[in-house]
Amino acid sequence: MFILLLPANLDNWFPTIMRKTTVFAIAVYSFLANASVYSQVFDYEPITDAMLQNPPMEEWLSWRGTPNSWGYSSLSQINTENVGALQLVWSMALDDTGAIQAAPLVHNGIMFIPGPRGVVWAIDGASGDLIWEYRPGVTPSIDGSDIEITAEDLGDAAMAPTAFAGVGRGVLKNLALYDDMVFTATENASIRGIDARTGRLVWETQTADPALGYFYTAGPIIANGILVTGITGCERYKEGNCYYTGHNPQTGEELWRFETVAAPGTPGGDSWNELPLRFRAGGDSWQSGSYDPNLNLVYMGTSQAKPWARAVRGTDGDALYTNSTIALNPNTGEMNWYYQHLPGETHDMDENFESVLIDVDGRESLFKMGKLAILWQLDRQSGEIIKATDVGYQTILNVNPTNGDITYRDGMIPRIGQQIDMCPSTSGFKSWRSMAYSPQTEAMYIPITLNCELATFGPTEQVLGGGGPGPVRRINYPHHDADENLGELLVLDIPNGEVKWRYRQRAPINTAALTTAGGLVFAGDWNRYYYAFDAETGEKLWQTRVTTSAHGFPMTYMIDGVQYVAMPAGLGGASWSSMLPRDLAPELSRPRNGNSISVFALPTQ
Amino acid sequence: MEIQSVYLHYQPSNKLSLWIFLLILFLTGASISNAQTLQDGIYTEAQAERGAEDYSARCASCHSIDLRGNSNSPSLIGLSFMFIWEGRSLGELFTKMSEEMPTEDPGSLTQQSYAAILAYILKSNEFPSGETDLASNAEALAGIQITSQ
Repeated sequence: MFILLLPANLDNWFPTIMRKTTVFAIAVYSFLANASVYSQVFDYEPITDAMLQNPPMEEWLSWRGTPNSWGYSSLSQINTENVGALQLVWSMALDDTGAIQAAPLVHNGIMFIPGPRGVVWAIDGASGDLIWEYRPGVTPSIDGSDIEITAEDLGDAAMAPTAFAGVGRGVLKNLALYDDMVFTATENASIRGIDARTGRLVWETQTADPALGYFYTAGPIIANGILVTGITGCERYKEGNCYYTGHNPQTGEELWRFETVAAPGTPGGDSWNELPLRFRAGGDSWQSGSYDPNLNLVYMGTSQAKPWARAVRGTDGDALYTNSTIALNPNTGEMNWYYQHLPGETHDMDENFESVLIDVDGRESLFKMGKLAILWQLDRQSGEIIKATDVGYQTILNVNPTNGDITYRDGMIPRIGQQIDMCPSTSGFKSWRSMAYSPQTEAMYIPITLNCELATFGPTEQVLGGGGPGPVRRINYPHHDADENLGELLVLDIPNGEVKWRYRQRAPINTAALTTAGGLVFAGDWNRYYYAFDAETGEKLWQTRVTTSAHGFPMTYMIDGVQYVAMPAGLGGASWSSMLPRDLAPELSRPRNGNSISVFALPTQ
Repeated sequence: MEIQSVYLHYQPSNKLSLWIFLLILFLTGASISNAQTLQDGIYTEAQAERGAEDYSARCASCHSIDLRGNSNSPSLIGLSFMFIWEGRSLGELFTKMSEEMPTEDPGSLTQQSYAAILAYILKSNEFPSGETDLASNAEALAGIQITSQ
């Protein structure tokens, strides 16, 4: 990687000047002109579809490593024999103006990290040197023009510069890489294409009016040359619903749009009974998808219908296409199939999360788990259910393991103002903390939070601007079978769903899982620990402690023959990171700041 | 009961007793008037304005500019707000705010700022303003019930 440091607005000055001279010039220039400074990468290798679909094992090009979202790396330099010697190589404090739930990517020796409210960093993956920072409204666009977004455009997002990006807006999980660009999705309902070499904005496309509540927390993916992403912020009643869009990565042009709520008069439209479209809320997308290049299908999830409880939203219909897995053609946006996991869901039990694509005995399968900790196996060509495995933690419904049909248990469909006792709580057992698959052990590694709740669902106003998830009087309590433990790494054999091992502890597991060919699984917790386990036995082989809660998506990569493991830490997370630890593990605490990335490797010989 | 008890011991010829009686009457009366309700104008417009600024900076990213919240943050206005808080005390709400909010940086605002934000929430829920700022400690607010009446 060749990097040249350049002062802003002097792009054409320096290419021939030696680096030391340049740095000195920058220092003088910056002092005089108070200019922002950035570096430029000159030997950036553009990313192709072929690279994304079959990435070199040294790189991590998609949010879960590969389009099948295994969260698995073929690197084995760090393994069960030597992981105990892991040591810190570099770390970096990240912007503390909001929450971070980052899935770093690595290409060309550069780590790309999404930060709060649209900030993106490019960092030398080996040394930890900052290469560039993209900061919305500060970094100029690539053509030098200012970025004009008015307060009216921003709506809710037009907050004071000191505003804190919390559990809602301003958090972005993942980026996408393609060609020579980095793609983000923002809290102001826009998608940005950023030049990977310089960190400068190439294009921005706003897909909706953020003043209506729309925003992104899931980043885009690239599928067959198309940038695909889904939006969230659809809990409130408005003229418009949530959607996925497909974009031209070069220009940002919107190519297609798929609405996640079935409108009256369209297929599935009667599944909301007589509710007018404006009162059909939910179907948000807050976790990114997967892609099967052979079938040319993108697999995306949708969240539950809003308000959460049937009695509050005014329909006991299935509410298509909420709480579903949807297979889309990335070139056209046409739906190939959908599978609705929990028709007419009524407790905030999201099934929005990652789709893990695994071929089992020659059958092209998709595995998925929602808040109820039911592992779904679908045929990813047809969308047919193959198997549903309830791990037995939830107390809300019964699921038929063969056909996936669900039946709510007696008394478990909430009425307004009537308390019910349910496991999990509305925080769920599983959440965005993505599970990882290991082909070595043929097992799935699933971060779980164990908890239950006495829940009383309350009413909302059925008017435009009203709605929302609906209020819940909430009393959290520990799960009956968990001995006061909140955190679990649950390991299930694939495909039979039998428990291979489980690791339990007091603090919630607070990151995605990472599996490696070194026979390892990595995950971190709310109490600042990161762990490496033997993926076969569950033995804890290594641990470290980071700046604040482990938070985000640990990942691994190799530069110049050295394998690194990156472990993000950060504030944020919703009830599972704030309310549950506070209520159920009050003796634990975390610092009020400390967003960071820490990178580990074995000692050099 | 206390007033009656004092009255029974009242000796018209004893001026000191009269003053003591009046003092106790005043204090008791003050105590009675402390049983405030949300309809008594318990915050000022200026305080709510300050609260609106702080709310915008520190709360709106989760609870929305219009206080209606999002999937992770409850509504602070209207039917949904009252469903959660009706019958509980303003002191309890102040304690929750000042000890747990913002969730990413709990307790990081001044007590005066929390009180101002609470005043803004009351104003947004159309409770009337008055001449005195809302107190900025939970004890002083403990006796005020949250009720739509």
